[in-house]
Amino acid sequence: MIRLASFAAMILVWQAASYFADPRGLPGPAPVLLAIVDEAKSGSLFANLAVTLARVMAAFVLAMSLGSAIGYLMGRNRLADRWLDPWLVALLNLPALVIIVLAYIWAGLNEAAAIGAVAINKLPGAVVVVREGARALDPTLDEMAHVFRLPIKTRLRHIVLPQLAPYLAAATRSGLSLVWKIVLVVELLGRSNGVGFEINMAFQLFDVRLLLAYALPFVAIMLGVESFLVQPLERHASRWRGDSARRRY
Amino acid sequence: MPPAGAATLLDVDIKSKDFRSASGRPQRALENLRLTLKRGEAGAVVGPSGCGKTTLLRIVAGLEKDFSGEVALPDHGRLGVVFQEPRLLPWRTVAENLRIAAPQATSMEVEALLDALGLSAHAAHFPGELSLGLARRVALARALAIQPDLLLLDEPLVSLDAVLSLELRERVARLINETHVTTLIVTHDLGEAIALADRIFILSPRPARMAAEIRIDAPRGRMTTEAAKAIEQEARSIIASLRSQ
Repeated sequence: MIRLASFAAMILVWQAASYFADPRGLPGPAPVLLAIVDEAKSGSLFANLAVTLARVMAAFVLAMSLGSAIGYLMGRNRLADRWLDPWLVALLNLPALVIIVLAYIWAGLNEAAAIGAVAINKLPGAVVVVREGARALDPTLDEMAHVFRLPIKTRLRHIVLPQLAPYLAAATRSGLSLVWKIVLVVELLGRSNGVGFEINMAFQLFDVRLLLAYALPFVAIMLGVESFLVQPLERHASRWRGDSARRRY
Repeated sequence: MPPAGAATLLDVDIKSKDFRSASGRPQRALENLRLTLKRGEAGAVVGPSGCGKTTLLRIVAGLEKDFSGEVALPDHGRLGVVFQEPRLLPWRTVAENLRIAAPQATSMEVEALLDALGLSAHAAHFPGELSLGLARRVALARALAIQPDLLLLDEPLVSLDAVLSLELRERVARLINETHVTTLIVTHDLGEAIALADRIFILSPRPARMAAEIRIDAPRGRMTTEAAKAIEQEARSIIASLRSQ
């Protein structure tokens, strides 16, 4: 309820601001909605949204799976941590734009370069969060698994993953929002479709209406992914934390 | 009761076990410690707090590799361990905890085991919803579910109130009698050792050595009150003489 009210307040503020602003600079909610409907009718809205969403998912899955594996290794193995840490720090501090431009120069203006560049941008963040989770794994449960001779598969599924779940959820959350922003930049610089490309067109025409008509539906999609996919999954994973479950066994 | 002439199942022969203290000097925890258990016997290791009993158990469980000496166990022998803290998986239900540790156990076996430990009503609960006494019982059920060749119990009754502790002691005694599982119990409570064991091993203060071994001919349910008193007196005089040394 509070979320809905807050959302309504945001629309109201927008509506009010558009009264006082130049309609070309800040169109109100109604004209933007009309533009969305127009773009939807022509089919180009869905085509571009789908292309961008596919890139987001590909880059996200690539970065998360690779980042989780590296993060787990670094959190569990001190030698690996020492070796890889400087690389991680370098990657963390490399500007997204540099990675994107280099990827396009070295690999060409193609899909693989685009998705790869986005994944490399997201990778170090995932590594850092999952490493933190792997460091916090409970050693007493490791000992339990050792004496009961649990196979690797069982350990991963029943001991490691449940402990990493909050960290994976945090990495997913920050990751999705970061990835889709960088995907737009990648599309703007070197792709001929997708939301980023359309926003570039809108920019060249100074058409804020069109710009918002592409940006807002995408924000809505990512909001949907967060509240209908990430949050329910998280709730399911933490259902064992009842009120009385703060004690640790 | 162990069949006559049963083979030795566990043979622990520890020459020494050192810990490095914070100052870097090695500190001796265990020294010249030999104990054996035949198949089906229950042994209780008794000693003052901090003498190295848990270290001994960790060595037998294979969690401490850095010691000089030998631990002989049957090849591929299964170990069921009940740690002092229950160490259950808090994100899995009681029944799931058992099944994860013992995937080969049928659901009938799991149910029977939960029933025997009075846990049937808690099968679908998460460990965080249980009291410490109940969680201990789940840990015990888990250790038994794998049908262990050797059951290791680390202070299984500590920090439970007196009534609960007695009740769980009864259950453990009954389970040892019924399943004939070879058991090694570590405890600081002499009464517990007398109530559960076929053999009592008394350790000296740190560094722990084997000070004495008491054999109980009529253990657990078959023990008379007088016999228990006599054993207690014998053990107490040994412990007192260790203190005065």
